[in-house]
Amino acid sequence: MEAYKATWYQFTEHPDADSCWSLSVGPDGRIYVAACAEGVPGGIVKLVRYNESGDRLDYLFDLDQVVDDPHDSGRATQCKIHYSFAPSMKDGVLYMATHLSGPPIDLPAYSPWRFWHDEERCFRGSALLAFDTASDEVLWYDTLIPKEGCRCLLIDEERGLLYALSYPRDHFIIYDIEKREGRDIGRIGSINAQLLFLDKKHRVWTTDDYGHLVRYDPETDRLETSPFALPHNPQFQSGWHSVFYDAAPSPDGECVYASTWIAQPRLMRIWPNEGEWGRVEDLGPATQERDPTLPTSMFLDHCGGLTFAGDGQLYYVASRWRDEGYNPLPPDHKAHEGVVWRLDIDTLEREEVARLERPDEFAQYVSRGAVDHKGDLFFGHVGPKPTGIFKVWMPESRKRSDAHLPIRIWG
Amino acid sequence: MAKRKQYDMKSPGTRELVDEIVHGTFVKEGTLLAFPTCFPGSSAPIRADESRITALDATFNGGVYGGTSGYATHLFVGMFHGVTGAVLDLGTVEGGTHCAAVCCGEKNFVAGVNGKKGGRLVGRNLQPLPFDLIQEWGFNRKPFDEVGEIGGGERIVHMAADPQRKFAVGTSSGHLFVVDLEEMGVETIGELGGCGQIGVDAEGHFLGMDAGDSLWSFDRQAGRLERQAVPLPSGRWDGVELVWARDPGDGTLYTADGEGGMFSYRPDSGWSDCLGQASLAPVGPLAVTFDGRLFGFCGEEMARLFTLDEGGVRELGGAASVFERRRYGYSFGAAVVGRDGEIVFGEEDELGHLWLYFPKIAPRP
Repeated sequence: MEAYKATWYQFTEHPDADSCWSLSVGPDGRIYVAACAEGVPGGIVKLVRYNESGDRLDYLFDLDQVVDDPHDSGRATQCKIHYSFAPSMKDGVLYMATHLSGPPIDLPAYSPWRFWHDEERCFRGSALLAFDTASDEVLWYDTLIPKEGCRCLLIDEERGLLYALSYPRDHFIIYDIEKREGRDIGRIGSINAQLLFLDKKHRVWTTDDYGHLVRYDPETDRLETSPFALPHNPQFQSGWHSVFYDAAPSPDGECVYASTWIAQPRLMRIWPNEGEWGRVEDLGPATQERDPTLPTSMFLDHCGGLTFAGDGQLYYVASRWRDEGYNPLPPDHKAHEGVVWRLDIDTLEREEVARLERPDEFAQYVSRGAVDHKGDLFFGHVGPKPTGIFKVWMPESRKRSDAHLPIRIWG
Repeated sequence: MAKRKQYDMKSPGTRELVDEIVHGTFVKEGTLLAFPTCFPGSSAPIRADESRITALDATFNGGVYGGTSGYATHLFVGMFHGVTGAVLDLGTVEGGTHCAAVCCGEKNFVAGVNGKKGGRLVGRNLQPLPFDLIQEWGFNRKPFDEVGEIGGGERIVHMAADPQRKFAVGTSSGHLFVVDLEEMGVETIGELGGCGQIGVDAEGHFLGMDAGDSLWSFDRQAGRLERQAVPLPSGRWDGVELVWARDPGDGTLYTADGEGGMFSYRPDSGWSDCLGQASLAPVGPLAVTFDGRLFGFCGEEMARLFTLDEGGVRELGGAASVFERRRYGYSFGAAVVGRDGEIVFGEEDELGHLWLYFPKIAPRP
């Protein structure tokens, strides 16, 4: 088997970029990336695209300028796009929605709770953009959620609807693209799930604070909650905070593979069309064992970047770190690493295929992954600025063109 | 819009300012604790979109009764003393989508519930204490008694119990009525379009919003309803749905105008001057604890806790619970004083919780 080669692309033209929360394949098969700056007063997000012929990154636009919400206004800024790319194959539009909470230019921090009633400081709202990937034009934009950010976005193309979760109030939002109207269905909890997914019945799935599946059913126009908690480590977890972090749809559309947003994240396979609440298979912890008496950093112990590739198998990135007690890695390993795993979905055996290494810093945290129309893998990285993305060149034998289809319709 | 200079993250005091922005936003004094509408570990909470808590009252011995609004109305009792620690969902009121008020008597409670078919009064006897909610328990769910309708099903606006908890006085969209909390009977007193909450003053007279920036007054003993009996103090009262809090010690009533101005009322001395201004309007649920301090929430979408004491009005921050249930609180629909002077707020939001607020204990002077 040929090796998987990983290449690092730094956001050199956005030196303030300290996170890449969103990476997605567009309807044109190319890779789109959000270069976010949330730790810098007045920071903004830039839309970036991987340039295939030049093997480099192209910087398409600054969000604050496109949506007329200047970075130096004194408000919380349009600093990131957080799991909120939603590609539409029908018209070649990539929808995207912005998020907070980068500080206003003259403050060191922003709290959406503190400034909610402050007309001078409060975030204007999540900006929803329709970006035409054929012409590279922003066709229109709107405020998706006043005062709040958009944690994650999903498109139901057949029904012309976008679904979103708001932050900080954790409300479930439906946006009608044709009417350009939003509707608030209500609050879910206090901890945003980081993902929404759609099933064959056009139901939208996410999670609540206690790791229960939550589902919006268009037939009833209500949110409903599963009585069961998702898989978690019973030694020191209760299900609380085991919300979705990432999920990749299987190519046949019958199930999704998901990870949770909690230290020692869990992998699972969910068959949403089976039974009243679907069938959930626990695929075990994604990361290593560790001291259960210490609340480990969620930036160290993490799993994301779930995506299917042209070989029909699941790829994801899980962190690994040196721990003298639990994982004394040999010297040829970095202290923190992002490990690219390939999960055989028939045998459920996993194989380490690559390590993500940036020359200057550790690279254990990956947010999202995608495969482009040429069949290579891409991963967004969150780390010291300027951060960037990784491309993992797939071995020719495991590669195919149009590997991004059927396209993932959520961020 | 004026352009601003970028903050220097190396400025002295940055860490402290960040901490203040992040943590100083939330409750600055005392402790808020969110309790789910269930027996944790033993039952499931009320369904999220049926659990907006809009009515609360308390019994003499500390039981907290309440009602919810949303896709369905549930009535419940919270038990927080002895070997308890649970909220028992007493059941749904058929057809109900809005609970306007709950009033507790010595043996029974009554709820005013509205729905598609109009309003009505339901109730039942108080829930007896269970055995031991650490080790062994057992609960049954009893049906509610239909207590009656007002004016053929008029919408119930509010009710308030008298301090002895023998009866409650309520308003519907068209009438004033009295509920006997012992016999569970209803008597219609006369025509009156209810608006906002009903307060009970230090002499036991019931007061509510009337036309012309004034209050009606109802004396149950004399059976007399007096319209426009008490002029409201100078303030903005147009369109205000009054909220009230009663000092359990001396009966002083507190309310707020449409801009958050706080006022007190006593029959013997009348209205106070404005005692202070809540930071946001409208002012929401209020309650006065045993030492005379008032606590309440103000503002929409993301409410702020505030207090009124001898020093005036002070904002205490946003609601966050960090004990067991980790939750932000944004919207509150009811408040009542608990057995030991703690304030119990009803969260009017999806997956509403009972929020117990334990005010700060002042240091010895």
